[in-house]
Amino acid sequence: MAAPADPTPSSADQNPQTPAVEQTTVDDRRGSKVEVVKESYPSSVFVNSEPIREEQVQNAVKFLSHPKVRGSPVIHRRSFLERKGLTKEEIDEAFRRLPDPTPSVQTTEPVVTNQDGKIKSSADVQTQAPTQVVQSNPVLPGGNTLKLETDSRFHWSYAILAVGFLAVSGAGTVVLFKNAIIPRLKSWICKVASEDEEGLLKKNNGKPSIAEEAATAAKVAAAAASDVAEASRQMLMIKSEEKKCFEELMGLLNAQVHELRSMMTAIKMLEGGRSRNGKLVVEQHDDERFLGTSSKQPYANGKTVLGSHSVRSSSRPAPADPSVAPHPKSYMEIMTMIQRGERPSNIKEINDTPPNPNQPLSNPRLAPRPKPWEVSQPQTNSTNILQTQESSKSSNYKFPSNPLSGGDAALWWQRKNVRITELEAGNEKKPGSSNVLGNEQSAKRSWVPPQPPPVVMPEAAAVIRQPKKPSYQKEQTTDNQLLAPSPDVTDELPRITRIPEAGGSTEANGKTSVLSSSDEIQAEENSRY
Amino acid sequence: MPVFKVPFNGYSVKFSPFYENQLAVATAQNFGILGNGRLHVLQLGPAVTERAAFDTADGVYDLCWSESHDSLIVAAVADGSLKIYDLSLPPASNPIRSLHEHARECHGVDFNTVRKDSFLSASWDDTVKLWTVDRPASVRTFKEHAYCVYSAAWNPRHADVFASASGDCTTRIWDVREPGSTMILPAHEFEILSCDWNKYDDCIIATASVDKSIKVWDVRSYRVPVAVLNGHGYAVRKVKFSPHRGSLMASCSYDMTVCLWDYMVEDALIGRYDHHTEFAVGVDMSVFVDGLLASTGWDELVYVWQHGTDPRAP
Repeated sequence: MAAPADPTPSSADQNPQTPAVEQTTVDDRRGSKVEVVKESYPSSVFVNSEPIREEQVQNAVKFLSHPKVRGSPVIHRRSFLERKGLTKEEIDEAFRRLPDPTPSVQTTEPVVTNQDGKIKSSADVQTQAPTQVVQSNPVLPGGNTLKLETDSRFHWSYAILAVGFLAVSGAGTVVLFKNAIIPRLKSWICKVASEDEEGLLKKNNGKPSIAEEAATAAKVAAAAASDVAEASRQMLMIKSEEKKCFEELMGLLNAQVHELRSMMTAIKMLEGGRSRNGKLVVEQHDDERFLGTSSKQPYANGKTVLGSHSVRSSSRPAPADPSVAPHPKSYMEIMTMIQRGERPSNIKEINDTPPNPNQPLSNPRLAPRPKPWEVSQPQTNSTNILQTQESSKSSNYKFPSNPLSGGDAALWWQRKNVRITELEAGNEKKPGSSNVLGNEQSAKRSWVPPQPPPVVMPEAAAVIRQPKKPSYQKEQTTDNQLLAPSPDVTDELPRITRIPEAGGSTEANGKTSVLSSSDEIQAEENSRY
Repeated sequence: MPVFKVPFNGYSVKFSPFYENQLAVATAQNFGILGNGRLHVLQLGPAVTERAAFDTADGVYDLCWSESHDSLIVAAVADGSLKIYDLSLPPASNPIRSLHEHARECHGVDFNTVRKDSFLSASWDDTVKLWTVDRPASVRTFKEHAYCVYSAAWNPRHADVFASASGDCTTRIWDVREPGSTMILPAHEFEILSCDWNKYDDCIIATASVDKSIKVWDVRSYRVPVAVLNGHGYAVRKVKFSPHRGSLMASCSYDMTVCLWDYMVEDALIGRYDHHTEFAVGVDMSVFVDGLLASTGWDELVYVWQHGTDPRAP
């Protein structure tokens, strides 16, 4: 047992380290990848360009090492650090520096489906494999298991300790029972037996004590009863008070109802008997003193001199119809309703699924209009890059923007900044384009720009283009390495920044602005050689 | 100035990018807590008339017009789906698409004005998703926020850059070509409900928060805000930069007002309108008419008015 057991712990010893090593190398690789990205877009303004602040990282490490923080989910830890103003790089560095890299650290990386994720998952598998191997050889608990720092070890020793503790406690209770309780039982039985014998003798002596006990019990009972009686009395009082209040309220409500009724009748009379000079039951003045009125409405004293009150009544605006539309319930009412589990009654069953999920889109009737900020300032997408090349403008936006893909051919004519795409697989909003989802997800450049526009004037294109057959074929492929052939062009940036020059030069020639991408680049490259 | 009454509580209003007299309103029943929804398309004129209306099973929290098709609208629905409507088709054929991937409510949707073929959806399931109109499934999912994402906004000049505002008190800037966010702005101490880019300076972004303030940031030096705009009495629900003037922005708040700000000026608050009688939840500025504003709120009213005039004037 010992012989096979020895190599496994040692191999298991190494393995936890190798994932850690792998993890760091992965991170380094990732970090270097990130740096490569940054180098290719040196002045992209939408990226953190600050160096890592050591102080912040150390504070973060202290925070993350706190035992309470250890217990919280990783996403909360990251969110806290982000809110404190740490950049992603600083947070990643702090996690890296944690003294005990646990498997949970690997989950902090954002969910991506690229090589990095695959490498990490393989590292995870490696950590789990050795632990499973060692678990299958249960060596002595405690000593050997404590050497290896994987979670499953701890479960074993803890379980054994728990079992032992339970056994000990069980044994202890048994012992207790034996030693303490059984003698008590015996003594109690003996007592009862002896009491029976002495019962007759002690009867007379026992009676007074019993009587005393009975007396105290009776007193206690009496006290309790009196408390209860008081409480019930108080409740009765409260109830009577409430009743009074209710009655008052009812009285007031009745008064209001009567007022309203009287007003209604008055209005009806007014509307009906406008031409007549007769009976106007004018009660309007009553609502001014309605608070003091009793429930019996003074219809009798409502009749007053016609003249004054008719003036008053007619000058009053007609009040709204009492049977008004239901007032929209307030927000709190609906909230409480829903919290109680009730469903508001005004909800209808509506089927809003598309009747034809493959309904083709209608053709747009209007071409997109330029925005005010695109018109007033020259299109900065292209001009910035152009000008950076000419170094005439201190623009920060060196990273390329993808072209404005217009919907129709007319757009391409309108748009002067024909920008060539980063020649990856084309994605187009026009229906029927090829689906290149997988391609996107795997590439670092996951955005898929539209396909290059078709050649409109082949003669012009031929004039500009250097006759190079392979370029036609390249134009057809939709591959990432579309421009790979040029040995000088390994980095994408020069390639892309050259492109608008092609666009600019072709415009300068007065040729069509609609050209295929690779042809232009070929033209540029050829012109440079 | 025209006012329009809708049957449900208003949530969002957007002018059409194709027709200057057309706008759409997203509404939800029972304040959006539980109930149906309706998307209205309104026509401005001497009076506001309704051109179309679409009912949904759940409330509509936001909408955006397509930038490439004059008749397409994308609606963000409280059941987590996105519905696409085509106005040129008869109502019986609508919606033409239902994209359901979010696990929780869809709270914001924004169409790309540069590339004009893709749009983002911000959801309470902490993610932002990228879609195109012709695809049934999302193109990308951006999952980094630790809490609900309330809004996402494309950069007006850079086709691949957008910002997201979240309840985890951060605003993140993303590039669709990168796997994760490229910048994290810990903009406020409380939830951030809205963000928008300056149309004339694409490094300037404004964030609106529950802490009643709007902060304007320059991403090139994002540690300190360019401006902090105080003046609202309650949480600021939406902020929108003017398409016509660089430093002008409109905001609406739970204090029932719509305010106009110029953050370059010492006294930034240059207009305040308190025409709503409930939370003002949606505001938009027209790209065609300088100074034309639209707003909607939980008082079930939609107002369209010119800055400087009284929204409630007939």
